[in-house]
Amino acid sequence: MTAKEASVARFAAMGTRVELHLFGCDDPEVLDAARAAILAVEDALTIHRPSPTTALNAALSGGGSAIVDDPLLFDALLAVDALWQATGGLFDPSFGRWSALGLDRTTRSASAALPLSLDFGGFGKGFALDRAVAALRAAGVTSALLSAGESSIAVIGQHPLGGGWPFAVPHPEDAGAWLVELELADASLSISSTIGAGAAKPGRAAMVRPTDGTIVSAPATAIAVAATGAEAEALSTALLVADASAADRLRAADPDRRFLFPHAAPVGAERALEHTA
Amino acid sequence: MTDDEFALSRRTFLDRVLLASAGVGMSAAAPWAAFAADDIAKGPRVRIGVIGTGDRGRTLIQNLNKTRNCTVAALCDPFEPHMTKARAYVPANTPIFTDHRAMLDARQVDAVVIATPLDLHARHTMDALDAGYPVFCEKAMARTIADCTAMVTRARQRGKLLQIGHQRLFNPTYLNALKRAQAGEIGAITQIRASWHRNRSWRRALPPGGTEREINWRLYRDRSAGLMTELATHQLQVTNWFMGGLPTRVMGSGSICFWKDGRDVYDQVALIYDYSDGRKVIYTSMLNNARYGCEEQIQGSKGTIEPELGRIYKEVQPAAVPALAKMRTDVQAGRKNTVPIGGATWFPELPITTPGDSLGWGEYDETMLQFEGFGEAVRSGKEVPGLLAQAYHASVASLLGEQAIDEGKALAWPTDLLTF
Repeated sequence: MTAKEASVARFAAMGTRVELHLFGCDDPEVLDAARAAILAVEDALTIHRPSPTTALNAALSGGGSAIVDDPLLFDALLAVDALWQATGGLFDPSFGRWSALGLDRTTRSASAALPLSLDFGGFGKGFALDRAVAALRAAGVTSALLSAGESSIAVIGQHPLGGGWPFAVPHPEDAGAWLVELELADASLSISSTIGAGAAKPGRAAMVRPTDGTIVSAPATAIAVAATGAEAEALSTALLVADASAADRLRAADPDRRFLFPHAAPVGAERALEHTA
Repeated sequence: MTDDEFALSRRTFLDRVLLASAGVGMSAAAPWAAFAADDIAKGPRVRIGVIGTGDRGRTLIQNLNKTRNCTVAALCDPFEPHMTKARAYVPANTPIFTDHRAMLDARQVDAVVIATPLDLHARHTMDALDAGYPVFCEKAMARTIADCTAMVTRARQRGKLLQIGHQRLFNPTYLNALKRAQAGEIGAITQIRASWHRNRSWRRALPPGGTEREINWRLYRDRSAGLMTELATHQLQVTNWFMGGLPTRVMGSGSICFWKDGRDVYDQVALIYDYSDGRKVIYTSMLNNARYGCEEQIQGSKGTIEPELGRIYKEVQPAAVPALAKMRTDVQAGRKNTVPIGGATWFPELPITTPGDSLGWGEYDETMLQFEGFGEAVRSGKEVPGLLAQAYHASVASLLGEQAIDEGKALAWPTDLLTF
């Protein structure tokens, strides 16, 4: 089978590098639309410069309320709310205070019963990839791979040579060893780890347990596959911060798409030998 | 260095200045450079009387001795230990004076170089201009903005040349940096972060016969604005130059934070100068940490220039993810291989430690060159173009910064300044 035509965009966004690989489409305007979708999410959700999120944080940090004018931010809040519930509160970008946040769909407002602030973190990357995927689908793209920092992946359709997109997640400390192999189609992948090349970088935000505010320090990697990037990000985060029983429950709901590797486990196998602590 | 070697390095230096100052926009941005580096007219050397023979004055004397068109013809300083050191650099029969008026009245010089404490610049300059002499005065111009303005006004009234020492204007590395910035290599310049950090008290030991106020004049507000006039002035000239304009306002803070030794000038300052279109200069100076030294970090959308280090840096763009690049190659070759993909490895928000590229053309003797320019200006009666405006605005910026610190509020750029 011959390779389809491809086009690619590489750029910095959301504090990392983003790559968009399209197959069967070389229209630069399509790539531009996907890129614009990602940058729009960054503009809405960043807390590293003034944004709708920092404005909302200013209101919520005093336990107040605010109309959320930015549609991307309000959509993100609704998505987080659903995922917070789906993970039993383990995914919580408000550091354990999401239950104090009220969202009113009618007035498109947010109110906080307790002072809180939001840091969307990796969720933002998944959410942004979802928007880019939507833009690409709308433009007729049927085969594409999108990466945000190599820890957030989305694929559209099948691999250009047919079948699923084959991925292998390397062990973060053991070169040449893989934690798991996966084949994806029309799906998103998120990888969260407390160790490895990126985890020790200065300025990297620690993973915080919403249950007690402690930092996850045990060496572990969580991997989640889901229909959307937002869901995959929420699940990989939830798996990493969960205690053993909660992690088991999350995994049991979809064992072929949710993995947790404590790094005391054996490595080097083609398939994961142990998925939970 | 032999005379031949010196002549060769001088020629190389001048060629570099000429090359750096040529090009689109450079004749407007640095009109003085080509003027000063041009061939020297034949004729008798310009006889210079130097007022002030302290550390800076003696440095200037040594640079005057290197020029092709100036000679030190008189020295003036009431402080004997300084005069004794200065005489080592001039012929033994060079006339010496303890009073600047006596030197002016003696009519043995063609022009005057002033390297006295800051609070004396205005008086010495006015006296020399009134006596009919062209004047080269060290930066900063004067202790007050009003005196800076008065010096320029007096020079204009007397029809006499006034030049202020700002050696970076003649430094080929700076000229080349400006040329590359103007060519768009670092994109639109939106911020310059300038600093001059030292880790020493700035206090001079008192020689026999020396008084605290005379020797350590930089430490007292009635004589100097301290860091602002003695250090920041250099860099504010550079920032105005690279911004291609003047500040619109300044705000700042200062303190005597570490050297609580009786001085009354700040030993630490931090200021923000606003320029048009939201552009900013962030300036800091301190005297108890030298890690970041002296530098102007000229930051544009495509890169950064650090002229003191002589480096230019391109903005780092994310490199291709190797595994995804291989995936593309595989697909194009009809191969379907597993794509290893893991955690993030690229963090653009960390400080970049790439070495950058050399701007080239390390400094040579820009202080000498500005004197050759002064000498030619004295000979021709035509000032070196553009210099005085640069110096005037740099001094105003430094003094306005001091005022903003003192008053604890943002101050707008004055509207009653002279025009050039």
